[in-house]
Amino acid sequence: MKSSLRARYPWPVFLIRRLGRFVVSLAVVVTASFAMVHALPGDPVRGALGLMASPETIAATRERLGLNDPLWRQYLDYLWNLLHLDLGTSLDTQTPVREKMAQLVPATLQLGLTAFVVCLAVAIPVGLLLGIATRDGRGRGLHFGFGGVTGLALSVPDYLVSVGLVFVFAVSLNALPVAGLSGPASFVLPVTALVVGPAAYLARIVRAETQRVLGEDYIRAARAKRLPARLIYLRHALPNTLTPTLTVSGMILASMVAGTVLVENVFAWPGVGAELVHSVLAKDYPVVQAVALFFGAGILLINLAVDIAIAVIDPRSTIKES
Amino acid sequence: MSWSRTRHHLSSPLGVVTVALLLLLVATAVVAPLLLGDRATEIAGGALQAGPSAAHPFGTDALGRDVLTRTLVATRLSLVLALLVVGIGVACGLIIGTVPVVLGRRAGRAVVAVLNLMVAFPGLLLALFLAMIFGVGARGAVLSMAIAFAPSFARLTHTTASGVANADYVSAARLLRVPRWRILIRHVIPNISEPLVINATSQVGAALLSISALSYIGFGVQPPQYDWGRMLADGLPAIYTNPAAALAPSIMIVVAGLAFVLAGELLTQVLGGSQHGHLRLPSLRSQRRDMAPAETPPPGEEVLRIERLTVTVPGETAPFSPVVDVSMRLRRGEIVGLVGESGSGKSLTAMAVAQLTSYPNVAEADVHQIKGNELRRMRPRDRERLLGTSLAMVFQDPMSSLNPTLKVGRQLAEVAETHERLGRRDAWRRAVDRLSAVLITDPQARAKQYPMAFSGGMRQRASIAMGLMAQPALIVADEPTTALDVTVQKEVLGLLRRISRESDAAVLMISHDIAVVAENASRVLVMYAGRVVEELPVSGLAEAAHPYTRALIASIPDMSTDRSRPLANIPGRPPHASDLPPGCAFAPRCGRADDRCRQARPELADSGGGGAVACWHPLLPVLESEA
Amino acid sequence: MLELRDIVVRYGHNQGAVTAVDEVSLTVAAGSVVGLVGESGSGKSTLARAAVGLAPLTSGTILWKGAGLDPRGRPPLQYVFQDPYASLNPRMSVGASIAEGLPRASGRQERPARVTELLEMVRLDPGDVHKRPRQLSGGQRQRVAIARALAAEPEVLIADEITSALDVSVQGAVLNLLKEIQTRTGVGILFISHNLAVVRYIADSIAVMKSGRLVEHGTTEDVIERSAHPYTKQLLEAVPTMTMGNGRS
Repeated sequence: MKSSLRARYPWPVFLIRRLGRFVVSLAVVVTASFAMVHALPGDPVRGALGLMASPETIAATRERLGLNDPLWRQYLDYLWNLLHLDLGTSLDTQTPVREKMAQLVPATLQLGLTAFVVCLAVAIPVGLLLGIATRDGRGRGLHFGFGGVTGLALSVPDYLVSVGLVFVFAVSLNALPVAGLSGPASFVLPVTALVVGPAAYLARIVRAETQRVLGEDYIRAARAKRLPARLIYLRHALPNTLTPTLTVSGMILASMVAGTVLVENVFAWPGVGAELVHSVLAKDYPVVQAVALFFGAGILLINLAVDIAIAVIDPRSTIKES
Repeated sequence: MSWSRTRHHLSSPLGVVTVALLLLLVATAVVAPLLLGDRATEIAGGALQAGPSAAHPFGTDALGRDVLTRTLVATRLSLVLALLVVGIGVACGLIIGTVPVVLGRRAGRAVVAVLNLMVAFPGLLLALFLAMIFGVGARGAVLSMAIAFAPSFARLTHTTASGVANADYVSAARLLRVPRWRILIRHVIPNISEPLVINATSQVGAALLSISALSYIGFGVQPPQYDWGRMLADGLPAIYTNPAAALAPSIMIVVAGLAFVLAGELLTQVLGGSQHGHLRLPSLRSQRRDMAPAETPPPGEEVLRIERLTVTVPGETAPFSPVVDVSMRLRRGEIVGLVGESGSGKSLTAMAVAQLTSYPNVAEADVHQIKGNELRRMRPRDRERLLGTSLAMVFQDPMSSLNPTLKVGRQLAEVAETHERLGRRDAWRRAVDRLSAVLITDPQARAKQYPMAFSGGMRQRASIAMGLMAQPALIVADEPTTALDVTVQKEVLGLLRRISRESDAAVLMISHDIAVVAENASRVLVMYAGRVVEELPVSGLAEAAHPYTRALIASIPDMSTDRSRPLANIPGRPPHASDLPPGCAFAPRCGRADDRCRQARPELADSGGGGAVACWHPLLPVLESEA
Repeated sequence: MLELRDIVVRYGHNQGAVTAVDEVSLTVAAGSVVGLVGESGSGKSTLARAAVGLAPLTSGTILWKGAGLDPRGRPPLQYVFQDPYASLNPRMSVGASIAEGLPRASGRQERPARVTELLEMVRLDPGDVHKRPRQLSGGQRQRVAIARALAAEPEVLIADEITSALDVSVQGAVLNLLKEIQTRTGVGILFISHNLAVVRYIADSIAVMKSGRLVEHGTTEDVIERSAHPYTKQLLEAVPTMTMGNGRS
């Protein structure tokens, strides 16, 4: 029997395939961000500079941006500039987009990653403990209460959580800063707003997974070996809940990226999300393109990281990967 | 879906709340703009951005208009926009989702790949970028959200539809040459519509939140039109002077979003048929008194003694007992078969014998001794220790009873580490030794592998090896070969026999296959509807006294069955344990049953041939030629 | 009669390819019962599925009475699936499922009568016609599936492990039913099972498959009593028998 390449070298084959998919997806995102500008109705330059701009200014700007070149030429220029990290110049502020992004990206990353870490740190232990407490249909009251609380947390969107937090902590209690990035205290409200929904979702998934795993035959077999509860939960159950937990965590991180757009707006956070809203309204499309690339590449990287993490942790997955 | 079940769900607390919320929303959406439309745009001349007052319960906005009135009137636009998003999104999603089926394999795969990529991006983020193309405003927001929502719905459509398209009943219809459109209408659509309807319903809530979000950041509805998101944007800057102005639309967004999420859950229950309503749980408190055995058997001989074991499980109206009054004794080195059909209670019995009955089921027995130790009188730690070292379990499915994320050797070694406090290295060495004892070649290398790398037969041998880590006196094997091929079955059974012979361990072999038991055991217990109806030596199987045992044997073809005659037929089917007839449970299927059988249940009594039978009219060996 | 010639079914391509069925030829004559045995992964189900077009044919030909199968005309082959819980549409009544198999030419008036007739043939209560599959037991469902297949008046019926999902005490009744229908209608049957004792009971001839290849084919008597291939012998030896006490040697 011929053994297939994949069976002989599972790791290299997996990595090459997965990285290939990443590169293709990235190319799609880059192309989409380029195409976006050309899909705009009317002249983007006139749209950005407004009706009052003189025809000379518009013509000059078009020339500067290379919009008079043939499309393929523009595309190649776009790619070439990207390779040199040249993101163009803002139509609004006339400053290089790269400088702008260099200021915004760290603020958003700080917010997003803090929220992500907090989310995992809260949701995984809570979900695990509840999964254990509700195994085999035990603790129905607890299960019901958990379902209600997380269900409510899930149906209140992050921007409303933000509004509520602003109202309670800033307006009523006057306890925490509500706007801007200024020291650790300023993180509390935006991070909370970002975390509530995703944490509720992740805790639900972890609980359900824990409950499912605790019903599996191998857990019954572990109980038949009369192992102490600690070993059954931590050694036998937990590793088997990791794959779905990681998958969902990746989705959550991606959705938090979207959440930053709204939350940054409420809390006047000087990040990419707030800038996105501003630049779309101002039709400052070089900035929109840069933001689109940032979010797009970020999400693809998250997915890549999750897939590789699963492959490392779960011995079954490299073979399963198709 | 029956009407009575629908009504049952609608009258549940969830149903009442959901229906009330939805009706309220729809009524507001229809009526409020008609009655309050003028008042909502009326500039009241009073204070601007005033706080709550009797005239304005939620205060006024920046132009002095009543916030409450505007919030109510905005219901229509907010709902309509959300419904439009889902409507357009569902339509696009359905088309895109079914395209791969039509296009064929290759093009279909490309569509799926693109969908997977798009689904990775959060919908709101996609919508923000699309909003740039479609322009700000209600129309642009609806289109962007709909397009952003379509991929996930398309993927759901695709996965559900391809699942149904591969179902056996669709294959059967294709083989019957049912036309394509008919297959689509009668087989595919009815079976995919449920999850899609449920998903679309809860998506209305999500769309409402997203559209409001777009309006809130200024991408959506533009003045003078207003929806809740727009009102939120208007109210937020004044949050210090009149927080109520932002609160009113916030509350409505949450309530409306919740209403559709609940509607989705309700639909899941009504359509999806979560039939188990509230089950009655068995009580945990034992009603039995400790009945110490009068005579003490020679402790060295008897490995297992269990008297009047009953297992109770939750039921819809009341708890019921799928295992009733099962008693058995196993001596050293003895292999005893426990035979029964699915639902006879044999697996629950096996679990109870191993003290693995899991919540919410409850097992009770008058006597439960392992190696002469009464388990119920032992301290939990000692009991676990005793069971951990002297009882071994072999489960039915070796594919699922080994932990996929732990190395095989590790799963063996931990037994010795836990119960005998062996060091890691010694435990590992013993694990390798036991793997070689069950004839696994190259045990050193195999121990380091994950179960995935083992074949079915090897896994089952590894789980047997796991039981051999200590010195088992009793091996409970629950359908140990049902999941295996016959040639592998033979090996595994041979291994169990060898272990029993060499280590003098007793084996309780549970099987639905009477031939397997006949070949390996010396004694058989036959279970029917939760009770042992006959106990007999294997040599007496052909002359079994219970009509059920006799018919069961005759109905199963083996390698010596007369091919020219029909197989013995047992009419009907086994009763469900929650609904047993008053007399003998086998009476409705038994040719010998009379009124006595239908009214009174026979107890297990000596049958004369070295066994026991629970039957009013047992078959006698001499009558066999007549039967 | 049905002739399968040099059937090859291969999944995947290049180095990852798996050959599920490897040049198997098999004939099911009208009115005969051919048993096909093998262990899991032997390719027996794949062969049967390929015969009716449910598995893609890599190469080989399927002949019906010496000619190719007409993909449009009335199908001479019908298939009964292993799992009666998956092979009936949960949303269609028993009657509607069976009626779907009736030839399209049959008149509207005749259909209910035909359905009743078929229900009686598989020993089901004609009053069950409006029931949904979930109201039936596994054995009853399998009877509905058989009735549906028979409705199309096939000349060969492929029965793929049709008793392995059923209770032991119900299995005998389904086997009896199949045998009875075979005698009454003269339909040819390709009976697939991993259980040699069941195949021996029902089949006139037996084909043995291993790893995608046909290793032995002959009359039931020949295969059971004078098996030529070592694998067949191994299979025969492994079958547990009720001849008591011979195993504990």
